[in-house]
Amino acid sequence: MAKSTNIQIAKVHLTSKIWQTFVAVLGVTFGVSMYIFMNSFMNGVNKTQDDLAFSALSHIRIYNQDNNRAYNPIESQFDQSNTVFNILNRKNMQYTTGIKSSTSIFSTIKKQNDAVAVARQVNSSVFFRSGSKKVNGIISGIELKSEDELFNTSATIIQGEWNNLLTYKTGIILGKLLAEKLGLQINNSVNVLTSDGVSKNYMVVGVFESNLKTMDETKAYLNITAARQLAGENSDYASDIMVNIKDRDNTASFIQKIAPMIPYQIESWQEANEQLVAGSELRNIIAVAVSLTILLVAGFGIYNIMNMTINEKIKEIAILKATGFSGNDIMTIFLTQATVIGLLGAIVGVIMGYGMSLLITLVPFTIAGLETLPVFFRAEDFLLAVVFGILTTLIAGYLPSRKASKIDPVIIIRG
Amino acid sequence: MEKTTSLEIRNLIKYFHEPETFQVLKGVSFTVKKGEFLSIVGKSGSGKSTLLYVLSTMDTDYEGSLHINGDVLTGKTQNQLAAFRNEHIGFVFQFHYLLPEFSALQNVMLPALKLGKLSKEEIEHKAYESLRLLDLEGQELKNANRLSGGQQQRVAIARALINNPSVIMGDEPTGNLDSKNSRAVQEIFKQLAQEHGQTIICVTHDPDFANNTDRIIEMQDGLIV
Repeated sequence: MAKSTNIQIAKVHLTSKIWQTFVAVLGVTFGVSMYIFMNSFMNGVNKTQDDLAFSALSHIRIYNQDNNRAYNPIESQFDQSNTVFNILNRKNMQYTTGIKSSTSIFSTIKKQNDAVAVARQVNSSVFFRSGSKKVNGIISGIELKSEDELFNTSATIIQGEWNNLLTYKTGIILGKLLAEKLGLQINNSVNVLTSDGVSKNYMVVGVFESNLKTMDETKAYLNITAARQLAGENSDYASDIMVNIKDRDNTASFIQKIAPMIPYQIESWQEANEQLVAGSELRNIIAVAVSLTILLVAGFGIYNIMNMTINEKIKEIAILKATGFSGNDIMTIFLTQATVIGLLGAIVGVIMGYGMSLLITLVPFTIAGLETLPVFFRAEDFLLAVVFGILTTLIAGYLPSRKASKIDPVIIIRG
Repeated sequence: MEKTTSLEIRNLIKYFHEPETFQVLKGVSFTVKKGEFLSIVGKSGSGKSTLLYVLSTMDTDYEGSLHINGDVLTGKTQNQLAAFRNEHIGFVFQFHYLLPEFSALQNVMLPALKLGKLSKEEIEHKAYESLRLLDLEGQELKNANRLSGGQQQRVAIARALINNPSVIMGDEPTGNLDSKNSRAVQEIFKQLAQEHGQTIICVTHDPDFANNTDRIIEMQDGLIV
């Protein structure tokens, strides 16, 4: 009975000065919607950046590099003795380049639960020649299906077909700017010259346009078997094995797991691209800073409004206490009001935040493959915003109402 | 004899500390019997209102002891005192002090709803009855801030009576009323004291009002004369 009386009093307070209630709700709405809007926008930007970066970068790369295995038979033999030795014009011995038997490594990694996609590549530096034009570039022999799983390359094809590489044994897909430089069209022929002096003609069966200019200017795709042939390597050869895992921030533990089974260099994207890591970290810090600022400013606003509401009612609180309402009743009355304001504000805030974010996606922004400003919604942002809105309002209502509940009615009534 | 004592204070001392320390009550003691209609008179500054606030349990910053209906109220917590006030004390303030956003009827009903001993329908019926008795028929559903000063004062009296408190206290309860209404209120108080055995303690300036009561206590400089 007493409980419902308190709620009834809260209801009268809320409805009798509807404008004040409206302003209080608006304060919460503002905080919640701004939080959702800023986070969704920043998520969109971050996601776009990452998508762009990982369109050409795998999470883990396995390759063979001999530099670490310096073999010095003479120096190691006579290091501790008194023998004087002098080696003139030292040359490296030929070592095995690339990964000769890639299938075993490929299947080892495939067995790992965390591995999402694995693709073998045969990469080599070549000259592309067409008529009098001669352009330095990189040729990448790829397994079509796995490569597409990793990088979604087929989506970048703007002329011809991705699968043409399967049907045409001598087919090649060129970057858009590379094709323009060489003056080549679909079905034209292009000559490729390797560093070992092998020269071979291919037919242009497609053109791709990624969002990375250096790739469009220098890269070409071959079927992996054609690339092995060009490099004069066996049918199990690969120069690189690219791996994508479930959680790309967790490369270290994955590398630790597979390292004992693989006798080659394993490099994570973090090691290969420290500037990417730095950029991503910095963006995250900014995101947190902006979120905190919004929470702080909005929280303070909500606190002010609740404080004002309660201070205005201080005389009525004294009357209620004089006629027998306890401190707890006063708390119930004002916390009920705070809950209603918080809930209403949060609901309207979610709708407004969602609407504002959708509006942003209508703003045109045509750089690097984008058409409009990017927005990405995450359920946890909405959840956090609602929790924040209600919690802040409750705290903002709790502090002044606790003060009010302790007030000595006689001080107010005596005047 | 003990049974009929309604309220008792012993050696009540109270200081005001602002703007400077000043002793308002200098050791006041008296006993009020059940059903007694008592008035406290005195010049302004004599400490009579201060005394009444201590009696009402709203002011807890005093020395000495206060008993109502045999309960020791000195040293109880704010919440215990609020619950006690709710059930046992009706209070009429000098300035009517109603909740402006609530109707006259709601103002009267709230203490009873808080007490929760009767159903809402019974309380509503009682409140209507009480307001009718105080000549407020037709004003029940108006918001308190739309009533005249005299009407508000009478609503406040109805509110003080709603829980049938054993003690009713008034700080100039008829201060805002014309002589007709003032006399009506006096009659109601008298009737409550005589027929229902409710104790009434009023601070007043009005000599007519004081002369109409069972006993007059006169205060001067913090002491009973």
